[in-house]
Amino acid sequence: MSEQTTKIRAVIVDDEELARSVLREFLAGRPDVEVVAECANGFEAVRAVTELKPDLLFLDIQMPKLDGFEVLELIGSEVAVIFVTAYDEFALRAFEVHAVDYLLKPFGAERLAESLDRAKSRLGRRASLPVKALVSTARPKEGPAQRVLVRDGPRVHVVPVDKLDYVQAQDDYVCLHSEGKAFLKEQTLAELETTLDPGRFVRIHRSYLLNVERLARVEPYGKDSRVAILADGTRLPVSRSGYARLSELL
Amino acid sequence: MNPFLARGDRLGLYLASWLAVGGLLASAVARPGGFTWGQALVVLVPVTLVYGFVCLSSWYVCRATPLRARSGSSLLTNIGGASIVASGFWLLLGQGWARLLSGVPALDAAPALYARDRVLLFTVGVLLYVLATAVHYTVIAVEQSRAAERRALELQLLAREAELKTLRAQIDPHFLFNCLHSISALTGSDPAAARRMCLLLGEFLRTSVKLGAQDRIPFSEELALAERYLEIERVRFGPRLTIDRVVEDGVGACAVPALLLQPLVENAVTHGVSHLVDGGTVRLEARRTDGGLTVAVENRCDPDRPKRPRTGVGLQNVRKRLAAQYGGEAALRVDESAERFRVELRLPWAGE
Repeated sequence: MSEQTTKIRAVIVDDEELARSVLREFLAGRPDVEVVAECANGFEAVRAVTELKPDLLFLDIQMPKLDGFEVLELIGSEVAVIFVTAYDEFALRAFEVHAVDYLLKPFGAERLAESLDRAKSRLGRRASLPVKALVSTARPKEGPAQRVLVRDGPRVHVVPVDKLDYVQAQDDYVCLHSEGKAFLKEQTLAELETTLDPGRFVRIHRSYLLNVERLARVEPYGKDSRVAILADGTRLPVSRSGYARLSELL
Repeated sequence: MNPFLARGDRLGLYLASWLAVGGLLASAVARPGGFTWGQALVVLVPVTLVYGFVCLSSWYVCRATPLRARSGSSLLTNIGGASIVASGFWLLLGQGWARLLSGVPALDAAPALYARDRVLLFTVGVLLYVLATAVHYTVIAVEQSRAAERRALELQLLAREAELKTLRAQIDPHFLFNCLHSISALTGSDPAAARRMCLLLGEFLRTSVKLGAQDRIPFSEELALAERYLEIERVRFGPRLTIDRVVEDGVGACAVPALLLQPLVENAVTHGVSHLVDGGTVRLEARRTDGGLTVAVENRCDPDRPKRPRTGVGLQNVRKRLAAQYGGEAALRVDESAERFRVELRLPWAGE
């Protein structure tokens, strides 16, 4: 005997209009679900999540600019997610391993109803997704990252690694410096370091990760430490072990 | 490794022939009143067998002096020098053995045999070494030609495999599932469009299967297949995908390998336009150039696209097939900039 509960507020994210329309059609027949937004790409999805705070996201995996997993990394586990994909063997394996719900295109209304029931029980238990573990299983290791994604409230900045000058640690955040601009991202410096090319980014100090292509020279500073001077004149501290790592690379 | 030492059966045959040589030699030096054949056998056969092993060293001479690469004089010096040294060794060895045997009463005259037939035995030693060298050259040549045959066969298999792979990869499951999903969506909103999509997809599948079984097809058929594919993708992507077609009259008659253009067009959509939020254009060009057909597929792409190593597989397959079918006469050129990707194929013109 379930009581009349409030409607589940859902957002549909898919770059294909037809794929969105089929979900819209199926969900229109469900009195317990309300579609509050439709998004054609990952940027819109992050904005919708921030501004509308939905309960549930139908998230396509193959999308331009930001794929489904990148959206997931950016929004973390604040929303329940049902993944939607046509065919992606890596993603499917990850879903099986982490017992995550997904819909395979093409799907019917019955299969969607099962997924919704499971999502409702998850919402009741407030169970969240193991985001990091899921993303790392879903992506075949493809070498160092080419870009860093930063969420700034409803907006997403894409910082290409080529344009990244240096990164500064700030408590639980990192501050990415690129072309004179600074972007704050919720990640530890150690975590970020593992995703970047070790032949290019060196930990010159406990709090600084440097793109060696920007380094102009290193000068002594005080009696025991050094300072790195970048091509644009920025000065960054270099610790003793940082200097050892730097000399080893150069 | 020496081809005779590598295999037991060959080594057996090789030593048996040396045994025969020893026997013949014994009968050559046996004289009535002097040495009997039996005595000569005991003196000569063991030494001959040992010399057989020594002659295996001619393999190194063959390796160091490949027949094709060297002049006649260096061949003569190398082989001549080696055979004189080897034969000298064989004579010394024989004399030592004879001296040892002289302790046995019936063979006390063994050293005398060597003293008497020294020149003859030395000459025979040289000739035997030269003969062994010739045998080694033959064996090496036979082995090389077998290896070449095997390599050619392997290459053929590789080419065939590359072709099969392209055919298998032809109908991408991702594409199929997405099409079915689009049809499912249209069934509710626009049944006529759903039916049209079913027909398009059916035609596309039928044609790819049919063309896949053929070797060469008129370019017009290949072009029609690619256009059908783009039409289907236009249903999925809607206004995000536009097509620009610049095809010269008369190019359709050129015979081309089946399903060569198709993967390029597919790449342009899946790795190009589908990554653009606002979509883009796929440009298809075909024109007759001097003595050949030039086909190009060009698309806009995302300048921030992550570099994925997978994108090269389709192109590599096309490249392999071109190499297998035309050798150096066809070319595939890729022009890649931040926002544009262009693949150009040049094939020699072939009539029906």
